[in-house]
Amino acid sequence: MFLQHLLNGITIGGSYALIALGYTLVYGVLKLINFAHGEIYMIGAYLGFILISLIPAMPPFLQGNLILLLLAVVLVAAVICSLYGYYLEKICYRPLRGAPKLTPLISALGASIFLQNFVMISMGAKDRIFPQTIGMQAITMGGVSFTLLQLVIIFSSIALMALIYWFINRTRLGIAIKATSADPYMASLVGINVDTVISVTFMAGSFLAACAGVMIGLYYGSINFTLGYLGGIKAFTAAVLGGIGNVPGAMIGGFLLGVIEALGAGYFSSEYKDVYAFFILIAVLVFRPAGLLGKGANERA
Amino acid sequence: MKKLLVLGLLCLVMVGCTKKGGQEAGVIRIGAAGQLTGPEAVFGADMLNGVTLAVDEWNAKGGVLGKKIELVPGDDQAEPRQAVAVANKFAAEGVAGVVGHFNSSCSIPASEIYHKAGIPQISHASTNPKLTDQGFDNVFRVCGRDDQQGKAAADFAVQKLKVKRVAVIHDKTTYGQGFAEEFKKNLGSGVEVLLFEGITKGDKDYSPVVTKIKSVNPDLIFFGGIYTEGGLLVKQYKAMGGTAPFIGGDGIMSEEMLKIGGPATEGTYATFGPDTKDIPSAKGFNENYRKKYGEPGVYSVYAYDAANILLQSIQAAGGTDGKKVLPVIRAIDYNGALGHIRFDARGDVKESPYVVWKVESGKFKQVK
Repeated sequence: MFLQHLLNGITIGGSYALIALGYTLVYGVLKLINFAHGEIYMIGAYLGFILISLIPAMPPFLQGNLILLLLAVVLVAAVICSLYGYYLEKICYRPLRGAPKLTPLISALGASIFLQNFVMISMGAKDRIFPQTIGMQAITMGGVSFTLLQLVIIFSSIALMALIYWFINRTRLGIAIKATSADPYMASLVGINVDTVISVTFMAGSFLAACAGVMIGLYYGSINFTLGYLGGIKAFTAAVLGGIGNVPGAMIGGFLLGVIEALGAGYFSSEYKDVYAFFILIAVLVFRPAGLLGKGANERA
Repeated sequence: MKKLLVLGLLCLVMVGCTKKGGQEAGVIRIGAAGQLTGPEAVFGADMLNGVTLAVDEWNAKGGVLGKKIELVPGDDQAEPRQAVAVANKFAAEGVAGVVGHFNSSCSIPASEIYHKAGIPQISHASTNPKLTDQGFDNVFRVCGRDDQQGKAAADFAVQKLKVKRVAVIHDKTTYGQGFAEEFKKNLGSGVEVLLFEGITKGDKDYSPVVTKIKSVNPDLIFFGGIYTEGGLLVKQYKAMGGTAPFIGGDGIMSEEMLKIGGPATEGTYATFGPDTKDIPSAKGFNENYRKKYGEPGVYSVYAYDAANILLQSIQAAGGTDGKKVLPVIRAIDYNGALGHIRFDARGDVKESPYVVWKVESGKFKQVK
């Protein structure tokens, strides 16, 4: 029973972590909470739904290879979402660079409401149901039941996190992101194009959020336009839990949040499922305001 | 002086703009309230289509009392506070009557506002006993009550399925929790309730509660709630290797349940009224509905009859005044698509037989 709850928690935690990375990356370079990020995740889920609905219309030789097709769906949705991220920054945040801190925050909320309503009007207000594709049969091993899809989700989220970790620490662009996040002015002095770095950060964050969106859509099978609200808030909680601005922190925070929720709902009552997550958030903010892995406030200043 | 004049004119314009209570000459307005948007929007559309069909038929015959009927839709998004806003809007506009709401948690707070305004309310789908037990003289429903429905579900579980161990899950709403409690109450002493737990409406991840259900290993799982959550619950339970069947109520009787839950819904039971596809009285309704909107939802015919009862009563009362219309509704002896409808003193239908349905090869079928 404990292992089962743990597995449930890790599955959902992986998606929290992927979305949380977007919050943390953007916060790192811009010191801005991108509240429209949850909507990008929701749009990713919708793109996944649209693309998967197109599968039956594709030529049969392609349909044979379902895993490859699903991979392509995730990739296309993620690329389109990175464009959303790119334009989101360009339209809603770039013109406000240098404005008081509250202004881009309001702009973020506006963008969030706009995107939510845009999807509601274009896709309809009712739940959309993913066509059944892969792996919903239970596999039971040592008293723990899971589906193939669940394994795919856990491994893909870990692989994506490894990818982003490598990208940030090992590529020129990634190191430029780190430099910008340490000191944007200094970074620009040494020849880093800060605007490009910020755009790339938004695109990378949106890419990950879209992957999470498609996977969660496949996992639960039904999505609606309000998905991004709770998903976004939970992921934001995960980012704060791990220490906002800190990349490994977001990953750990995401998994931790998923597991706390699953255990809380499993051992106490599922009526208060959302309460546990936010209770932990408050506790962390009170006792460790910078988050689990975050640097102390004094150190940063 | 000139300023005063402008101000006065402005005031006049403003008064002219607000549609003050009462009906405009030549038009009778009735409200149709339900969840027109949101995850349960399919139920809302089923209702609106049913009411629209009734209104169109009356208008084609020349309206009521020589006046055209105007339908005013109200969207409560299945949320109590939206329902109150819709009810206030209807009361301010002075509609002659309201069909709706769907969810009991919406109908009950809204009924208070309709009661104060003296507007007749006929719910097509709110089954929580409290709605009519409040003692309001303006509230009616054409569907059954959850104390009847809970008993029907419990009797079926005990007598037909012969279950000994059940898990009871509900969505914490007035309808879901109320229905679940009625079910539990009627199970009798021979059945053990292993789990009685609420889930959060709108959530997508039910794996913790599903894990719990699986660990107590019940013979049957009862779900009090709507298809949005019900479908996911069944699907996630089966995906975790669970095998016990589910039983729910009118809230899961929808094509959407089958779409969300997929093949996992096979063998799921639900309590509802008898099949209206085959009964002769609903033949005309089914044909006309299909022509305009496709296959009717299970509650479409209830909404259609509710609207007809309202309009027929206004016609018989000779006006839209609630004081005159209400006694007519209470005394009505109506022959509609659902068959014979009469109301008791509370506003419930006198005859309300619940039967059990089962999902067989991807379709709800009445268990004979």
